[in-house]
Amino acid sequence: MTNVRAAERSSTELDDIDALVRTYRPRLLRFVTFSIGDPDLAESITQDCFLKAYNGRGNFRGDCSVNTWLTSIALNLIRDQQRLQKFRFWRQARATAIDVSDAANFLASHESSAEARILAIERTEQVQAALEHLSVNQRAIFLMRFAEDMDLADIAAAISMPINTVKTHLHRALKAVRAQVGGSR
Amino acid sequence: MHLTEDQMDDLLMGDLAAEPAAHLASCSTCKAQVAEFETSIASFKAVTLAWSERQSATLPSKLLQPVGSAWQRGASWAAAAAVLLVGIGVPLARHETRGAQVVATNGALRAEVAGAKQAGGATAAHVRESGPGAPGVVAVSGKSDAQIARDNQMLQAIDRELDASVQSPADDFGLAAAGGPSAGHGHFAPVENWD
Repeated sequence: MTNVRAAERSSTELDDIDALVRTYRPRLLRFVTFSIGDPDLAESITQDCFLKAYNGRGNFRGDCSVNTWLTSIALNLIRDQQRLQKFRFWRQARATAIDVSDAANFLASHESSAEARILAIERTEQVQAALEHLSVNQRAIFLMRFAEDMDLADIAAAISMPINTVKTHLHRALKAVRAQVGGSR
Repeated sequence: MHLTEDQMDDLLMGDLAAEPAAHLASCSTCKAQVAEFETSIASFKAVTLAWSERQSATLPSKLLQPVGSAWQRGASWAAAAAVLLVGIGVPLARHETRGAQVVATNGALRAEVAGAKQAGGATAAHVRESGPGAPGVVAVSGKSDAQIARDNQMLQAIDRELDASVQSPADDFGLAAAGGPSAGHGHFAPVENWD
């Protein structure tokens, strides 16, 4: 019953594509961009993702959040691209990689001082550098957990993996990231 | 005894057992480690989301217009096809009409030239080329054989007048025209006697 109501609510949400894009695009674009390391291709995949979601909105059953559903569509598109080798992944895509020092300038100035913004840039660059050394699955799972705040069950559903496999990937990703950014002995 | 690496990972993943959680509550060293990682992740989230929001804010407001119904799409395609057909068909039809006119004109030309030859007018002078870009395609003014004959007579008269009035430089060297007036200018034969 709850699922039916959630599905109805989400179905209405999915019918308004402008609102859907406004609400979910920033997070989805971030996820795709930092999963593949190519901002231009990420734009294209994100757009495809919304079109797929809109065209397939009738298939949404409401057993997960819209964000999780969109993330799973984006993951499939990333896998398709990877399979077709239409682009090279993170390590090869450094030339077009996102410049976080530029991104930090978009932080609202009233929320943080200049010094805090510089520190934020440094920390972000450290995380970004650590992500470069992860596998595609490790990176996607890490981003889903720590950037998208998805729980392990949702991640497992989105990436179509057993939850223990998700945990294993996440352990490895965490070790690599903590070694780079601190919080590791 | 501090948290192990695996326990720390479990904690960060949100999968920590009760006993390590109790230790964390009382251990400032482990707390500092967790806080350091969480601060880095918070910075990463904030900066990258700000970047992504900025990217999304620069999009046109109607980036993803939902596509119309099937009949609307069909009507659009039909209209586009009609415009294309008109755009291609009209110039093509005009070209074909003009080609037919040229063919008809060529037929008339051939008939007229044959008539002129029969009339003895070797020059068939009223044939003019339609342009340098269309060699062989000629147009003919609609003059009668009698008119052509009169024109030929006039041209021959002009030709004779010119021959009589203009002193040729070849005359100084004793050269004489090889043929009659019909041979035209420029065909000279040397005289027999050079002395």
